[in-house]
Amino acid sequence: MGFGRSGRERILGMDLSDLIEVQAIMPALKANSKKQLLQLLAERAAAITGLPEREVFDTILQRERLGSTGVGNGIAIPHGKLPGVKSITGVFARLETPVEFESLDDQPVDLVFLLLAPEGAGADHLKALSRIARVLRDPDTVAKIRGTRDAAAIHALLSDTQTSHAA
Amino acid sequence: MDQAIYLATLVGTALVLAAAFSSLIAFRFGAPLLLLFLAIGLATGQDGLGIQFDNAPVAYFVGSLALAVILFDSGFGTPVNVLRQAGLPALTLATVGVAITAVVFGVAAHYLTHFSWLESFLLGATVASTDAAAVFFLLRAGNINLRERVRSTLEIESGSNDPIAIFLTLTLVEIIAIGVNPEAQLLFTDLVVGFFVTMGLGAAVGMLGGFAIARLVDWLNLDRGLTPIFVLTLSLLVFAAAGAIGGSGFLAVYLAGMVAGNSDIRGAAALKRFQGGMSWLAQIIMFLVLGLFATPSQFPGLLLGAITLGLFLIFIARPLAVWLCLKPFRLPSAEVAFISWVGLRGAVSILLAITPLLAGLEHGRLIFNTAFIIVLVSLFVQGWTVGPLARRLGLIVPHRAGPIEKVELELPGSAHHELLSYRVVPGSPVLRGERLPRWARPSLVVRNGGSMKFPDFGKLMAGDRVYIFVHDRYPALLDRLFTSRVDVDPEDAEFFGAFAVDPDRPASDLEAAYEPGLTEAEQKMTIGELFLSRFGGHVEYADRLNLGPIELIVRDMDEKGKITAIGLSFEPTQPQPLVPENLRERLRALFGRGDGTMSSRVSDEA
Repeated sequence: MGFGRSGRERILGMDLSDLIEVQAIMPALKANSKKQLLQLLAERAAAITGLPEREVFDTILQRERLGSTGVGNGIAIPHGKLPGVKSITGVFARLETPVEFESLDDQPVDLVFLLLAPEGAGADHLKALSRIARVLRDPDTVAKIRGTRDAAAIHALLSDTQTSHAA
Repeated sequence: MDQAIYLATLVGTALVLAAAFSSLIAFRFGAPLLLLFLAIGLATGQDGLGIQFDNAPVAYFVGSLALAVILFDSGFGTPVNVLRQAGLPALTLATVGVAITAVVFGVAAHYLTHFSWLESFLLGATVASTDAAAVFFLLRAGNINLRERVRSTLEIESGSNDPIAIFLTLTLVEIIAIGVNPEAQLLFTDLVVGFFVTMGLGAAVGMLGGFAIARLVDWLNLDRGLTPIFVLTLSLLVFAAAGAIGGSGFLAVYLAGMVAGNSDIRGAAALKRFQGGMSWLAQIIMFLVLGLFATPSQFPGLLLGAITLGLFLIFIARPLAVWLCLKPFRLPSAEVAFISWVGLRGAVSILLAITPLLAGLEHGRLIFNTAFIIVLVSLFVQGWTVGPLARRLGLIVPHRAGPIEKVELELPGSAHHELLSYRVVPGSPVLRGERLPRWARPSLVVRNGGSMKFPDFGKLMAGDRVYIFVHDRYPALLDRLFTSRVDVDPEDAEFFGAFAVDPDRPASDLEAAYEPGLTEAEQKMTIGELFLSRFGGHVEYADRLNLGPIELIVRDMDEKGKITAIGLSFEPTQPQPLVPENLRERLRALFGRGDGTMSSRVSDEA
């Protein structure tokens, strides 16, 4: 599906800086299971948004029941809608050791982008998800993220992928 | 006399060999092969190397026989279940579509050339049918795996539209030859009545003939080498018999092929191979002869007009006809756009353009030359762009499985079993622990040059060659077990959606997560059932279901046709409009209200 690729990138942008802040990045997380991973992500998301941790956890777990959000190549993008979220909010984790995530390609996951959206964010929510999937599909970006334990560096990589992707 | 025979054979074989060699070049560069054959004919003809060939009856005779051979083969290879899926849209295109194309084109031709109305419509009829042989060659050469519905529609259309174009052309030639200018109404009744008689007789003879061919092959049990010749001869007999009693021989031979090919005929694989070869030869001969017959030195004067007409056919007449014909079927606009573009004109058009010459019409030569140039334009413009366009429109199904090394052997005297031989390749599911079903236990395994029987071979190893007797219903499943794994290309990942959805989960979960706007009733279904219900009960691999902001894609199915995995994409495919937006608006105003099926899918990014 090569059509309009450049056009789509122009419109969607390859910059995730509006979705995630530096303090939402966990550069060296340790988790033993998918469930624990989701719990840790929910914990951080709760701290940022001020919502109850349980509510966040239940929302993303509900989505996982529909089918794993592991998109392959060690990457997962759990997501969900919550009434209390003010704006689209992201949390990112880089795992020290990969955990099993029931991904399509059966590979364990070590890079996770959690995305929470307000009820009624509609198209913006889905567009944000596509952007994340697209950015994390770039092998260069992903390799660089895996190679660092610095939150600010990861944030910079997620924010500025234009140059690496254009190659 | 002897010398003449040798010389003619020498020239003839040299030409065919040149054409065969040129196919190597074509495979390399993706050039439209038929254009090459035509070019060889032109280059050696009277304006090139100087081979004199100006015998219209011979050219027409050879071309017709070649076309009959091609049609029988294409019918033989069309499975009946494809008809169920794409039959109606394809047949609408092949009948109404041909008529619309001929009429729209005829009107343009009348104003762009000096032809009378009847001559203009005659020209329209000659170029109204498509030649998909060219297209499928291109797709095969480019290793392009086209979506099944699109492929079937194009295949059936191209197989079945020739008889209609032939009928229209011949009728118009007759009317012009008689020389009276008939009243429009009379002409119309004549055409309609003639149409039903010709097609009815053709269809009847074809069906009976196909049935008879299959039965005769079974009864007579001829020598294996003779059977293909026998079938070929019978198919030509059907063609001739239908034509002799006033039916459409071309429709008859196509249907006969379809009936015979779908009736468990003995030695089907061998027949297919033989007919495939004959089809090639027929294409080559037909194009060579038609190329030889043309006289390019007569072209310059009418080049401009003919090229304009060719472009009109490509960009206006064909898209309009396809759009009108497919409107009731609500196909995605990417598919409509592609089908419009794959209106390649080919040998049939040139062949039909000979008939005005045969009938001695005043402007016969002019009509032939114009049609010839239009075909060249079409082969050039469309022939070269079919593959890239299919890719752009997202109609290509990425290969999910790597190559398999497999040999099929047909068993003499056996009704429903075949012997398959696979090489066990690294990374295939059988090596990754997938068990072979009981009914597929290898009868023999060849390992390191030695042969072993069950159960001596133990676990299969990479490099083993296994021989399995299996019921002819199951090979597809076995292919999966023996195929090597391929890495999914990033672009392909998008084709199947980045995320996964479990087909067995309730559709209400989907509504809760993404608000695709499902009805109450739909929310009670599972996601798999939702897919099926929106697709009218029949889903195939890689089908896409557009649900507002999201799109679901069939990632996998089991051998019973049940959806086992669904992908989810947030970037619904939004194909670019087929014709410029303002033109569409104008057309819609012209033909009354559009129901919005086309416009709603038009990309807002475009």
